[in-house]
Amino acid sequence: MFALGDLNLTYLVSITAVSLYVSTAAVALSAALGLPISLAVGFRDFYGKSVVTSVISTGMGFPSVVVGLVVLLALSRSGPLGTFDLLFTPEAMILSQTILALPVLVSVSLSAVQSVPQDLRDAAFAAGGTSTDVALLVVREARYGIVTALLAAYGRAISEVGSVLIVGGNIVFSDSTSFTRTLTTAITVEARKGNIETGIALGAILLALVLGVNALGARFRDRTPGRNGRGR
Amino acid sequence: MTAERPGTDGSGVGGADEPAASDPASNGAGRGGTRLAAHDLGHGFGNGAVLEDISLAVEPGEILAVVGPSGTGKTTLFRLLAMFERPDEGAVEVGGDDVWDLPEARRLAVRRRIGMAFQTRSLFSTTVEENVSYGLRVRRSWSARIRDAVEGLFGRDEPSDTVEKALRTVGMFDKVDRDAGSLSAGEAQRVAIARALAPDPDVLLLDEPTSNLDPRNTAAIESAMRAARDRGIAVALATHDMQQARRVSDRTAVILGGTCIESGPTDEVFGSPDDDRVRQFVEGKLVY
Repeated sequence: MFALGDLNLTYLVSITAVSLYVSTAAVALSAALGLPISLAVGFRDFYGKSVVTSVISTGMGFPSVVVGLVVLLALSRSGPLGTFDLLFTPEAMILSQTILALPVLVSVSLSAVQSVPQDLRDAAFAAGGTSTDVALLVVREARYGIVTALLAAYGRAISEVGSVLIVGGNIVFSDSTSFTRTLTTAITVEARKGNIETGIALGAILLALVLGVNALGARFRDRTPGRNGRGR
Repeated sequence: MTAERPGTDGSGVGGADEPAASDPASNGAGRGGTRLAAHDLGHGFGNGAVLEDISLAVEPGEILAVVGPSGTGKTTLFRLLAMFERPDEGAVEVGGDDVWDLPEARRLAVRRRIGMAFQTRSLFSTTVEENVSYGLRVRRSWSARIRDAVEGLFGRDEPSDTVEKALRTVGMFDKVDRDAGSLSAGEAQRVAIARALAPDPDVLLLDEPTSNLDPRNTAAIESAMRAARDRGIAVALATHDMQQARRVSDRTAVILGGTCIESGPTDEVFGSPDDDRVRQFVEGKLVY
């Protein structure tokens, strides 16, 4: 049995909820921004395309503390986004996680979109499809890769520590409810306090969450009508 | 340079009795009215011309074979006829209208009267039924498509009569529920042709549909071509298989080096070609 120390249910639920809220919102925002970028880049040949894709791939390796620092500067009172008063809020954490998750999502989904054979796009066009129909067909054909991209982005976001610590502030209210503390930052705090067992318990919850999200994604990804076929 | 047989009109292949042209954008135009023609087409890809001065036409209720060795520009020609891109020179006409002079909405309506199947495997990774009904779905309104998608979550309907008819034409209705990925190359090609036929096009373009297929699947596809012709569809077939052109086509156009060098009734083109290169090609002496 772990000695969970100060770990009560309210605290546990609230940091889990903040983790899920921030990561899910960041991935949703990344998807809203990133999938159109993937389609636009994947569909067109243009001068400098290889440079653009290289920059996107490089973005996957952004050091999170550097991103946190940049977002901190941007959101500070004297920064360009200071008027929004977002620093040390969950929304600031969403912003930094979006910046970190976006290159992962774009890079993996771009690869998936580009792997859809031109023949299939031509077939959709020849069957009377408009450019929107062809784009939807490509998304459908690339769905395995796109779901993988979403899962990779989610993994990047929910396991993030450095930037959310900097821009979120790791704040917990006096009634033990979390404002900007996530599972990952809570683990850091517990480790510093020497509560290794508590940290491990929180880590197990984090792993279970990641596993659950991946299982959901895999279930959606593999749900293909007629994939196994039914004879008549 | 287009070589024309005596008695043909300026289209190179078209006969003297040109059917009345119908409004290409009208919905459900009757058969016998839609003619697909290329006039003086020229096209290139930066490193030189692929097609030069091509003129030909395919009439309703006939099969036109466009023959020539691989790499001679047949696929480029068919892509221009299917309106994948605008030709550098010349015009593509459907029912008498230059399709690239039409407003976009009308051009889409015209494009939707042309079905096409390709040489390469091009089925979507879903069921045979969904592949064949794709062209029907994209013609529906967005609200109807969304409603269908929602209803699809709660169960699947029986295949529509249109899908059934198209699949029966190619002898594949027994595989309607199969995953397209599980089909053989020949079966996949037959389904691709059913997909092109399902929206009941006025023109059917088949780009090397039987290359590398076994005789059974080849026979099924040739049978589907004849059935389409008998329904009044204008069928254009690109092939390097001269025996196939002889078997199925009513008229033949020979393309060599990106230029149509001879065209006319198939028996005449193969029986007494005017052009020496065609004679050598037909006799298998002209090797590319």
